[in-house]
Parts: sequence; C-alpha cells; structure tokens
Amino acid sequence: MNALDLLLSASLGTALIAFIFSRFLMGRMLLTMLYAVQLVILFQIAPASVVVSEMTFQIWDHTLRWQFDGISWFFALITIGSAFFVSWFASGEYGKRFETDTGSSRLLHVGLGLNVFSMLLLLASGDLLSLFLGWELVSWSGVLLMVLGGTDSRAAAVRYVTYAITAGMAVFFGIILLYTWTGSLAFEQIISASTSFSPAQLWLLTALLIGGFSIKMGLMPFHLWQAPAYALTAGPAMAFLGAISARMGLFAIILVLVKMISLQQLIELYIFADFFSARDLLAWIAAITIILPTYTALRQTDARLLLAWHGIGQGGYMMLGILMMDRMGSAGGLMHVFNYAIYQAALIMSVVAIIHRTGTADLNKLGGLVTRMPLTFVVMLIGIIGLAGLPPMSGFVSKWMIYRSVLNEGMPLIFLATVIGTLGTILSVYKLIHNSFLGQLRVEHHKVAEAPWSMMIPMLLLSAIVFVTGVMPGLVLEYVALVQQAMGISTVNFHLGGIDSSGSSISGDLDMIWVVIVLFSGFAIGALLFLSSGKSRRVNQLDNYAGGHFLTARNQYHYSDNFYAGLMHQIRPWYRGSFKWLEESVISITTSLGGLFKSFFHQPWTANWLLAGSTLIMIWLVL
Amino acid sequence: MRMGYQELIVELLLMPLVAFIVGMFMVLMMRKVAAKLQRRIGPPLLQPLYDIVKLHSKTTQISHGLIHDIGIVMAVGGYIAAETLLPVPGMNGIAEKGGLITLLYVMMIPSLGLALGVGQCANPNGSIGISRALTAMLAYDIPFVIVMFGVAWHFGTTNLVELISIQQAGGISTWGAVQMPLLALAGLFALQGMLGKQPFEIYVAPAEIATGPMVEMGGKYLGGLFVMQCFQLYTASVLYVTLFLGGGENWLFLLVKAFGVLLIPFTVAFLFPRFRTEDLVRLMWKWPVLLGLIGLAFISAR
Repeated sequence: MNALDLLLSASLGTALIAFIFSRFLMGRMLLTMLYAVQLVILFQIAPASVVVSEMTFQIWDHTLRWQFDGISWFFALITIGSAFFVSWFASGEYGKRFETDTGSSRLLHVGLGLNVFSMLLLLASGDLLSLFLGWELVSWSGVLLMVLGGTDSRAAAVRYVTYAITAGMAVFFGIILLYTWTGSLAFEQIISASTSFSPAQLWLLTALLIGGFSIKMGLMPFHLWQAPAYALTAGPAMAFLGAISARMGLFAIILVLVKMISLQQLIELYIFADFFSARDLLAWIAAITIILPTYTALRQTDARLLLAWHGIGQGGYMMLGILMMDRMGSAGGLMHVFNYAIYQAALIMSVVAIIHRTGTADLNKLGGLVTRMPLTFVVMLIGIIGLAGLPPMSGFVSKWMIYRSVLNEGMPLIFLATVIGTLGTILSVYKLIHNSFLGQLRVEHHKVAEAPWSMMIPMLLLSAIVFVTGVMPGLVLEYVALVQQAMGISTVNFHLGGIDSSGSSISGDLDMIWVVIVLFSGFAIGALLFLSSGKSRRVNQLDNYAGGHFLTARNQYHYSDNFYAGLMHQIRPWYRGSFKWLEESVISITTSLGGLFKSFFHQPWTANWLLAGSTLIMIWLVL
Repeated sequence: MRMGYQELIVELLLMPLVAFIVGMFMVLMMRKVAAKLQRRIGPPLLQPLYDIVKLHSKTTQISHGLIHDIGIVMAVGGYIAAETLLPVPGMNGIAEKGGLITLLYVMMIPSLGLALGVGQCANPNGSIGISRALTAMLAYDIPFVIVMFGVAWHFGTTNLVELISIQQAGGISTWGAVQMPLLALAGLFALQGMLGKQPFEIYVAPAEIATGPMVEMGGKYLGGLFVMQCFQLYTASVLYVTLFLGGGENWLFLLVKAFGVLLIPFTVAFLFPRFRTEDLVRLMWKWPVLLGLIGLAFISAR
C-alpha cells in the first residue's frame, strides 16, 4: 500500500467515521483531526512525482487505474485544506446549534467526507473511465451538501442535478467518441492519436468535453445553477462548495487540454479564416464569465448570494489564465485557484458567523457590526481585499500574472474585461462590508457578541494565509511551478517575493515583499501624523450631522438599499435576464417534447402512427 | 540598478516628502486658477500649509470609531507608499519592483481606506458620497486602463523606469503624447475624473449631500484628506507626464510639465457645472473609451 492508497482509504475512512460520530462534539473534533491526517499523508507524496495506486479495477477487458501527478497534488492540497478548515469551523458551537436546529449534522459531515473522497478519486483518475467514474461521483456527492438549507436549497439542488446530468451525458458521449476514434481509454494513446483528428472531430470533442466540464465550472452560459445551489445551503457546506467544488471542472478541463486534445490544436482551429480561433472563443467565454456574474453579484442583497455569484466570476479568471497557456498566465490561473479557495472560504465563514449571531444575511437588515464583531470584520476585510485583487493580499498577485499574460499576448479587449471585472468586484465587496459592518448599528443588534472561538480560529488562520501568500507568493508558486511541469509548460520565474518577467515579450517585474514593506511604512508615517496631532474624542453613532434633525435610536440612519443607485440607473437596462430566458426556453422545449412523447403513448392507435411514420420515412429514403 | 540600502531608504523617505511639498503647491495653483477665473486675488503662497497645520492642531477632534481613524491613516499612508513606486529625476525608489499595474492598484488603497472610514461614520450622506465616488472610479478607470494597456503595449514594458528612459532616449518624437495622441486625449478625460474635479465631483455635492464623504470629517480627519489631495494631484499629474510626456529630464522640466498638465483639468473644472452620476458614467464610457480603442487599433496596426 503506497501513500496514494493510504490517502484514498483515509479519506473514505473519514466519511465512514463521520457517519457514526458526527453528532457528537468529540466526534466532529476527531473528524477535523482526520482531515489534518489526510494533509500529512498528502505531504508524504512528493508533488513532483507520479504515484500510481496499487488499486485497480477490472471492467470487461479494461483496467481502471488511479494515479497522482503534480496537477492532482495541487488540487488535492486545496481540497483537503478547505475540508480541514470547514470541518473545524463546523465542529464547535456551530455544530452544536446545527445539530439541535436541524438534526442533520450527519448529512453535513458525511457529505463533506464523501465529497473529499470523490474529489480525490477524480483528481487521481488515470484513464478516461476512471475520470468518468470520479466525475459522476463528484457530481452526485455535491448534492448531499446542497440540500442542507431547507426548501429553497432543495429546489436549487434539483436544478443542479439537471445540469449535472447534462454535463455527465456530454462527457460520456465525448469519452465514447474518443474511444471509438482512438480505440483506447489511456491518455497517452489519445493525445498522440488526437493530432490526426479532423477539425470537425475536434470541434465536437471540444464542445462535448470542455462544454460538459465547464457546466461544473459555471462558465457562461451554464452558470445559472451555481449561485443558488451553493448559497442557500448550510454555511459550512457553502464554504466548502464555494471554495473548491466548482474547480473540479477546471481540473478536468486542464486534463482535456493536457492529456486529450492539446491547446495548440485549439489555437489552430479557426472559426473565421486565420483570425478567431477556438481558443479565442474560449477566452472570450471566460472574459464574459468574469464580467456578467460579477455585475449580477453587485445587485444581490443577500451576502451569501453575492459571494456565490463572485465565485462564478472568479472562475473566469482561472479559466482565462489556463487558456493563455504561457508560463505567466497559467501560473496566474492556477495560483488563483489556490488564493480564491482560501479567501472565499474565509469570506463565506465570516458571513456565516454574522448569520450565526444575528440570524440574517440580508444586506438591508444589518449594519454597524464592526463594534460588536471586530475580529470577524478583520477577516472579512482581508477577504474582500483578496477577492477584489488589491495589494497586499494574495488575490492581487495571481490577477497581476493574468493581466501580464494578457498584456504579453496583446489582447487589449480581454485585458479590459479582466479589469472591468476587478472594478465591479471592488464596488460589490465594498457594499458587502459597508452594509454589514459599517454604518449604523441596529437596535436589535446592540447585544450581539463576537463569533465563538471555534469559528473564529479557522477564519483567522485562513486570513493569515491570504496575507502571507500575498506578501510571499513564492510559497504557493513553488507548487504552481510543479503543476506547470506536469502540464509540460515552461515554469514561471519566481522568487519568494514575486515574479521575474524575463523571457516574456513585455518586461516589468513584481516584488511583493518590497511593496508591502513600503505600504506598511506608509501606513506607519500616516499613523504618526495622525497620532501626533490633537487627541480625538469618540462620539456615539447618533451624534451625527442630520441636517438640523435630532437622531434617536429608532432612526434608520444607514444607507444600504440600492447602494449604487447612479450606476444602476445607467446599467439596469443591460440586465435583461437573457440567460434566464435561454434556460427557461430550453426547459419549455424539453417539457413540450416530453408532452409530445407522452401523448404519443396515450394514443389509442400508437401502432397506426408508427406504421404511418415508418412508411413516410421509407418513402423519403426511397425517393 | 544596485545601490546601498542607506541610499534607498533616503530615497524612500524623500520621494513622499517632495511629493507632499509639490502637491501643496498644486493645491495652491488650483485655488489661484479658480481665483483668476472668478476675478479674485486668491490665497497667499503658504495657505495650503496653514490649512493643514490648522486642521491638525484643532482642539475638537471627533472620531466615530477605530475604523474612522484607520481609514484616514490608510488614505494618507497608501499615497505615501504609492509615491515610492513613481520614479522622478534622480530617484527610482522601488519603481522597478512594482510597475504600472501595481501602481494603479496601490492607488486604490487610499480610496478603500477613505471608503471604510466614511462608512464607519454612520452618516448616509457620507455613504451616498462613497457610492458615487466608487461609481465614478468604475467610470474613469475603464478609459484609463485602455490608456495604460496602450502605453505598455506600445513601449513593450510595464516598468515605469524603462518607460521614461525609452522616451528620453528618443526625444520628443518618441513621447507617448506624440506617438499616441488619441490615448493621451483619452487619458486627459480619465485624469479629470481621477482628480474628482468638476464636472465630475457629484460625490462631494455640498448642497445636496452635505459634501458627501467629508460630512463627518473635521480637524485632523479633514486635514488627512487635505494631505491626501496634495498627494493625489502630484501622483496623477506625474503619472500622466511619465506615460505621455517623457517623464522628467530634470526636476525643473518635470515640475513644468506636471503643473502644465494640471492646468487643463483645473481650468475645465472651474468653467463647467457638475454632471449627475449616470451622466458621468455615460460620458466616460463613450468618448474616452472610443478614443482609447481607436488609439489601440492604431498601435496594433503598427
């Protein structure tokens, strides 16, 4: 039994133990420790090496294989890491209340364990069949975590299932086509055989495989299911799903681009003569996925939905980075997977902490919580700086690499799209923190306490990672470089503090350590200036300018609803819900087709209809 | 470039200090321009300094909480850091470790600090002001990013030190403004928005939302914002000079160019009324974006 077998069995064991013990505090603490054990085992596997599992499985004359390489290792690190922090977060006081309120602790923890296990199985897939097996397991185990939030979340989960079945069928069809055309299910034979595919074959495969996998990723136009399915479920489940679940789609897309049809073929696959290639098409889909969901997030009034919509938008950055396939862009895309998972988990946890204490995530019913929950505020502040991609947090570094890569490739409009996404994110996350933590504290929240330590410590640890990997991106880039090696790309030139651009067509480096030192020195000088002048006096929040009126505790003196009124006045007509319309029309076509077939069976003269139909077809064939 | 740490530390201290002093004179110039256009005499030479000292030494200082304090510190500190990323004659600071994109994003930190501080004040007038200011940022940064991309693409670098040396080596004919006149024009629009001057100062709107972000600011809080404005004028104008006018061959040229650039937005500011937020967005996304995109098309055609 090698380390990979040990990891897979430890992961399955965690899910089994969750089934027995997750109702008890000690049991949940044990589970958290078991995820730590999985992390330890993962570090026993050298990320640069290829480890083949001794476990095999025979189907007909084909043997299913599992193996780990640099790509799998990197995604596994994020998966198990997220599960560890989420499990910790859900173990203490949150878990206790969750158990008494809903009684579904077991479902939550078994769901988490099974999700991690199936994700590891997917990441370890060594051929097309084990890939499909892992893909289906990941799709179905996701449902376990999506149904934890009552009726709404179950409706969202059903919607997800529809998409997941579509994705599964597309992928299955793609795999069958690959098997028919190459006669093999092994990656090595497929990548070598794929060079002789015709453009039509390539198009079909791209549509089926990348299209199928991008449903999980939430790329446009397959994004509608994701935000409600993730946001409406129980807090810890949302944190896990939001942090890593959708990235399994990205992992599978990387597999397609590296091990099935190479990106080079997509670059040479033109839509218009020598001008707009399949890769450009995918890059534009990624760019649109950055912009539109971000501006949908801007409109949300529920903090959970706001974050979930940003999750879809951030997926666009990762996809874009990967599609650049140069050393800078792919490194940026991969690093963004890591960075995003960490700050998204921290952000969702901070929102869950607010819900835990106040009972709502409605951004129009909160405000002023910074005085009551200061540590949670710090977590959210670090998280939003990361999500918005501003220095000194980690999100800046990965986005910087993506910007640079787009700049190197000379794609001005895509570059503009990435920055439009970032600006929209800044607006949206400021609304998030302003409406919940800043402004006037509501009367009913005067006695709210800080989140309990069992929830606070994992949140603070995650925020610490966001900051440290922002100052020293080299820590993450070390692993990113190994993934690039496994993908066969030349690795990014990095050092502890940042990136060296030598070798790219446009020069310009980044050294975050210096930027951060100078930034904090600047803050220190600003603080000196501030503290050296007259001493200030704290006043009550009602001691405010109100145009001659007196403010009392009953006054709602907090600006939160329709926060960006001026902007919305300008861009509201652009939100036409075209994609919702598209989804609804697909549903209605399916329903009416279903109705047609149904009425067919209810016909008393079915045989006559069949006879008439086949006669017509015969006549058409003969003619 | 290799140099001693002592020298670097001196540069890092000197760059923000010079920026602050020059910035104060830029505020003075703004007021003088306004006075000239309104046929007044205007303030004396050291008025900006008097104002800052006065605001910081007030005995009544009202704080609305820790984030209010931290916000002001971030607003000033963020610009102090940004100055070290902006190369000037004889001093490069850490410009080569950051570059154009980093500078753009570091310049957003003061805005974020200000936004947080204003949010803590719990005054809807302030929050409305911030919502408008962030919308304005979304509006003017889009043409500005097009401009930035075009310049980096044209010169083949995001390193500001290299940008300057390329333009200075080639003389006036290689200046960004000569090579890319459309982008330079679009950049002027963005500059006007970035400085938050009329007609783009709806977020202050004294008669409507009681000066917006500044509504709860007094004493050293307002003083901090005053200092921030000095830095902002300096940073924006020197950055524009760096991108389009070949940077500064020496301090005299740099200052002449920077003050000259600022003369345009100042003059425009006191001749125009203000736009509503949505009109601002529409204007920014139409003309400068159009100019910028045409400018980019010229670069790509080359």
